[in-house]
Amino acid sequence: MPEKRTTKEILKTRMERKRRTPLYHPSALKKLSLDFEQWQKDILREEDRKNWVVTPHTVLGSDIPREMLYTPLHHPDFDYMEDLGHSGQEPFTRGIHANMYRGKEFTMRQLTGFGGPEETNERIKFMLAHGGTGVNVLFDLPTIQMYDSDDPVSRGQVGMSGVAIDSVEDMDLVFKDIPLDQVTVSLVTHYPSNTAILFPMFLAMAERRGIPWTKLRGSVQNDITLEEVVRSGPEYIPPKDCFRIQCDNIEFIRQNVPQWNFVTYNGYNLREYGTSGVTEMAVALANAIDSVQEMLRRGHDVDWIAERIAFFWSPASDFFEEVARIRAVRRLWYKIMKYRFEAKDRRSLWMRCHVQTSGVSLRREEPLNNLIRAAYQALAAVLGGVQSLHVDSYDEAYSVPTEEAALLSLRTQQIIDAETAVTEVVDPLGGSFYVEALTNEMEARILDEVDEIEKMGDYVTAIEKGWLHKKIAEYFHKERGRIEKGLIKVVGYNLYPSPTALPPINVFRYPEGVEERQKDRLAKLRDRRDNEKVKSALIALEGACQTGKNVFPYALQCARVGCSEGEIFKVFKRAFGLWKPPSLW
Amino acid sequence: MFRKTKVLLSKLGLDVHNRGLLTVAKELSDAGMEIIYIGNSLPKEIISTAIQEDVDVVGVSSLGGAHLTLGGDLMEEAKCVGLKERIGFVIGGVFPPGDAEKLKQIGFDETFMPGATRDQIVSSIQKVVSSKMEMNRKE
Repeated sequence: MPEKRTTKEILKTRMERKRRTPLYHPSALKKLSLDFEQWQKDILREEDRKNWVVTPHTVLGSDIPREMLYTPLHHPDFDYMEDLGHSGQEPFTRGIHANMYRGKEFTMRQLTGFGGPEETNERIKFMLAHGGTGVNVLFDLPTIQMYDSDDPVSRGQVGMSGVAIDSVEDMDLVFKDIPLDQVTVSLVTHYPSNTAILFPMFLAMAERRGIPWTKLRGSVQNDITLEEVVRSGPEYIPPKDCFRIQCDNIEFIRQNVPQWNFVTYNGYNLREYGTSGVTEMAVALANAIDSVQEMLRRGHDVDWIAERIAFFWSPASDFFEEVARIRAVRRLWYKIMKYRFEAKDRRSLWMRCHVQTSGVSLRREEPLNNLIRAAYQALAAVLGGVQSLHVDSYDEAYSVPTEEAALLSLRTQQIIDAETAVTEVVDPLGGSFYVEALTNEMEARILDEVDEIEKMGDYVTAIEKGWLHKKIAEYFHKERGRIEKGLIKVVGYNLYPSPTALPPINVFRYPEGVEERQKDRLAKLRDRRDNEKVKSALIALEGACQTGKNVFPYALQCARVGCSEGEIFKVFKRAFGLWKPPSLW
Repeated sequence: MFRKTKVLLSKLGLDVHNRGLLTVAKELSDAGMEIIYIGNSLPKEIISTAIQEDVDVVGVSSLGGAHLTLGGDLMEEAKCVGLKERIGFVIGGVFPPGDAEKLKQIGFDETFMPGATRDQIVSSIQKVVSSKMEMNRKE
């Protein structure tokens, strides 16, 4: 068997024969170079010459050195059509659509989820009534970790940090009066396992309402990185089984819910946990490459699978790095799909993404400053050409956002969209010597890290070995040290801290009685449902887990007959066994 | 004989956010303490491990909103087995204003919120340990 070639090696061979048409005339560059030297001698101060290169240290930054001034000399063989192209044209550096935000504003998709389904339903309607254009549902801790509200481990945590969902009944209440054939819905099912549990409940609810699955539009996350690396939880299934469920979900949803994004490779939570923007993207790409490879192995066509792949990024504090890397990863994904997987369809070549401003960059000290931080991060994302956006709220170092704070986040997006005119011109920073140089740098660094992962074998192996776990731990310890030393500047904390205590802000308080209500509803369901059907659905699911059949249709049957989330997760644990993640201690 | 301060660290319940606790684990370890990190656990398990491992301090982390309920359970368990007076209990995480006070009323010796520095955490834990030792000696 020939030795497996990495994506970087494949791209190198397949792209090296492409002829380039540099935009700059060699004689112009030569003149510029001489002039630049003269400028350095005549005009630049000695100390500026000495400190020509600095490395900015920022929250979740990548430590990429920056020069003081960028010129065409940084990119002497710049080929406009090869490196940028127009918007909506290969290599899509400037955006996936020709008209970008003139054609369609970015989707304003604010996260919603707290308490029981009833409270969350109200908040969703509130956001839609104030101009939100998409729904984004976050689940509570027991739901995310796949335990029922009446499980002893869930005590005190039901409805916290998200909405409690135990069965199809709760799913129905969350979306009460929401027209599912009109609004796009993002379900933040972080893990493959809970995607295979919660999305079937969503589909079963649509069936009950008589809405055909072909009309449903939205996304799930379904990402092994979140289940096996980013998460801290009591029980884990092994990575290889988790990856299989991820791919089972992809396959079933692609076949049956054609307008649904079956995976959102989630760089966001990984980065927030503690990685640079480079590692964030490299890991997501490595996972995406392996999933596409697995779909090909299962006999599917690359274009069939690729057109619904989506990504989720975290724009943090270094403004131009964020703009550059969104552009960079769009070009890199295009190259991977075109030259490694030989996709033909235009849509297959698009890196479509949702972004959320960085939660880790928010501070408890002087919380109103967080409004400014999030607004700059959101602006960077829009200048990078993203498809959809969530802006974190200023009070999140205290609790989940109040209604007022959530509205301010939505308003931040609306002000960028409606008042600043940045959306009128496509890729307004394209062609900036600096932004283009940084875009090239980011692309090269991301591909190098993809290469590092692929040389370990594959992404699942990189997880099993603990490579990623260790890399993250090193990163966040280093970052913490830098903030404490003041190397990373944080206004109001390590820089210009306020000498007087500021008045306290209003903070969200969880509604009471949610846990009891959930337990009660679950007890009634267990009483009312056909428990024979429940039992046989669970047995059939376990059989599918063991025999290698796609688990999704079996999980769907479980949802239809009213199995609870915890009951389904128990099947996974029994069938696959438990895995102990690499210890960081 | 000199004994290293022994600290048990745990995520409270199902909370998924462990970056903070892992950061603290390393910082305490660098400051010469012995760390036992048990990941996500419930109050009963935390207390039984604390007894088994004979630790000086229990540190728990909660960013998911369950600090008062599960924190309350933890301190109840500690009181039941007579551990509360013998060893230190500290908690860190994301809490609304005013909740730090409530956590102290429940029985925690120290609370840490976002923004707490390495030095603050290390020295507070050292203080908690020595005051408990002092109290135990008097008895």
